[in-house]
Amino acid sequence: MGSARMKPAFFIVVLITAFALYVALFGLKLGGLTLNGANNMRFGIDIRGGVEAVYSPKDLDRAPTDDELEAAKAIIETRMDAQNITDRDVKIDSANGQIIVQFPWKSDETDFDPQKAVSELGETAHLTFRDPDGNIVLEGSDVKKSYADFTSTTKTPIVVLELTDDGATKFSEATGRLVGQKISIYMDDTLISAPTVKTQITGGEAYIDNMESEDAAAALAQKISSGALPFSMEAKTTNIISPTLGTGALNVMVLAGEVAFALVCLFMLLYYRVPGLVACVALALQVTGQLLALSIPQFTLTLPGIAGVILSVGMGVDANVIVSERIKEELNSGKTLRSAIDTGFSRAFSSVFDGNITTIIVAIILLIFGSGSLLSFGYTLLWGIIMNFVAGISASRLMIRSLAEYKGLRKPQYFGARRLAQ
Amino acid sequence: MNVKRVFFFKHRYVYFAISIAVILTGVIFTLVNGLQLDIKFKGGTILNYSCVGDVDVTKAESVIGSTLGQTVDCQIQTNITNGGQTLVINLAGNEGITSQDQQTVTQVLTVTFPDANMNLTNSQTVEPSYGARFFKNGMIAIALSFILILIYVGIRFRNIGGFSAGAMAIVALIHDVLVVTSVFAIFQIPVGDSYIAAVLTIIGFSINDTIVIYDRIRENARLLGKKVNTEELVDISITQSISRSINTNITVFVSITIVFIFAQIYNITSIRTFALPMMFGTISGCYSTVCIAGPLWTMWKNYKSRKRAARA
Repeated sequence: MGSARMKPAFFIVVLITAFALYVALFGLKLGGLTLNGANNMRFGIDIRGGVEAVYSPKDLDRAPTDDELEAAKAIIETRMDAQNITDRDVKIDSANGQIIVQFPWKSDETDFDPQKAVSELGETAHLTFRDPDGNIVLEGSDVKKSYADFTSTTKTPIVVLELTDDGATKFSEATGRLVGQKISIYMDDTLISAPTVKTQITGGEAYIDNMESEDAAAALAQKISSGALPFSMEAKTTNIISPTLGTGALNVMVLAGEVAFALVCLFMLLYYRVPGLVACVALALQVTGQLLALSIPQFTLTLPGIAGVILSVGMGVDANVIVSERIKEELNSGKTLRSAIDTGFSRAFSSVFDGNITTIIVAIILLIFGSGSLLSFGYTLLWGIIMNFVAGISASRLMIRSLAEYKGLRKPQYFGARRLAQ
Repeated sequence: MNVKRVFFFKHRYVYFAISIAVILTGVIFTLVNGLQLDIKFKGGTILNYSCVGDVDVTKAESVIGSTLGQTVDCQIQTNITNGGQTLVINLAGNEGITSQDQQTVTQVLTVTFPDANMNLTNSQTVEPSYGARFFKNGMIAIALSFILILIYVGIRFRNIGGFSAGAMAIVALIHDVLVVTSVFAIFQIPVGDSYIAAVLTIIGFSINDTIVIYDRIRENARLLGKKVNTEELVDISITQSISRSINTNITVFVSITIVFIFAQIYNITSIRTFALPMMFGTISGCYSTVCIAGPLWTMWKNYKSRKRAARA
């Protein structure tokens, strides 16, 4: 590669970093493409405030089945929909027969009672089938089983209902009088479906067609099954953090991060000069990449996640320090600037590489075994190290070589060499 | 050969003594105070309510206690920065309580102290089985990282006797984990999330430190060959990378200290309990690499070559 062509590399990297930083902070909207920035980042409840609850079946002397857990999850999600809590996370832990729920406690919700909300989400669902006048014709306990299937002829998705004997009698009577009218199915007071009765159903088996998709059929089947769920859910493991407490932690961390970043840059600039300047840009690029890796796929950032950012910034500083020290050593041993830079980088590479790989090992273990907030630690760490390879090694090298093309910066002491060495 | 060298190996027993003294202090504190397990690990319940005016703590204890049929410990904490008061309710035992029971507590408090403007700010209740599982996963993560690091170092540094190098790196890591644990014992910080996060972060930093020095040893072993013995080789390698070790660790230490200071000023417990052990861990990570892993590995190598000489 011609040396003259290397010259603008530094400024190109700075521009890319600045642009990426802008996107990371404010997001980007380009036509159909929307990238979320830090303003839309998902924070764990320890940062922004919120509720985490682990639900287990109440007074159940056996482990719940997977179908029962799916039904219980459907209840919780329907209720959250009804309360307009969309920014939530509901997970089934089938090995332990639990459902883990997380949702934010927004700062404008002053009347919000989180303890009550946790209790209500776990209550048994009251499932009712009502005629157009609002009379209850069938209840959740009358449904033996409900599942998604396909019609045998057209292969379109449907929801099948198997009724108890008692339910079959009630349903036969109701469908007999309601042909051509709608039967509305409610969970608590939320309407979940309103199919039209085509003919009287006597056999105790009914189906609902006109489903949008297979997924929609499965979701409705789970909601209907929830009415026959033989237990309610209670949460004996909960963590509730008010938004004021949460936001405080975030602001403090951001402020501390800014001050620390400024001091690290100042130190690098004063101690290592040109390589120090390059290190500052590389660090900014690394952290920016990490922020984007969090905000674009909407991965939750928790306080331990911030610890992961700190660790990888430390590793990033280290990569730059190792390189800068090596360049200094090579210069002091009498090499020219150009060859000192090249040897410095190639000698530093193996140690940065091995250090990074071992850290990646720790990060991946955390992604596999870490539960809850530690997952975020593993994720930010993993991306920090990936970005360290991109920024701390590749981009740094481009930038240093580019700056070394400028006559005014070519003095060895700008690269930390002892003056005597010249 | 005129290479700058600081005699680290010569003073190894001084370094070992310092480390043992620090860890022993931690052990003594652990024996005297015990290591507090956070409720996140052992199970239990803590409720925090913001409140104003005079709140009779004993009265709160008795009304909540009689409602739940459990022994309760209540405290009032005052925030230094904004003067806000918090009523901290600690339930005896390790059981988690249901959200329904939590609602009852809130109700009883509002009725008993109508003028105190009680508002829930934070509640944490954990069932012991859930906590135990969380703890187990954290420990598996730490143990597994040790094993995989040992294997990786063993393979990558095989030309300087891989697995012995890996084993000494693990000794240095265990040293750092013990120092971090001592900080939790000495400052009475409950062992919870922040412990696992701090330990894993320190493992990351410390193994990186060790690898940088091993890398230099690997390179010097190639450059200097048989001209130097292990003792010189290790001393020279540590000396050459010492300014990197110091500079990197100073930047990390300063950064984490800033985080600690901010967390202290604004009274953010969750961050403070992570930052403080990290400060000590950073120093320990650097120290264990330079003063423990290097010299220990030299001793091991010397022992091996003496044995080989005796057999020949």
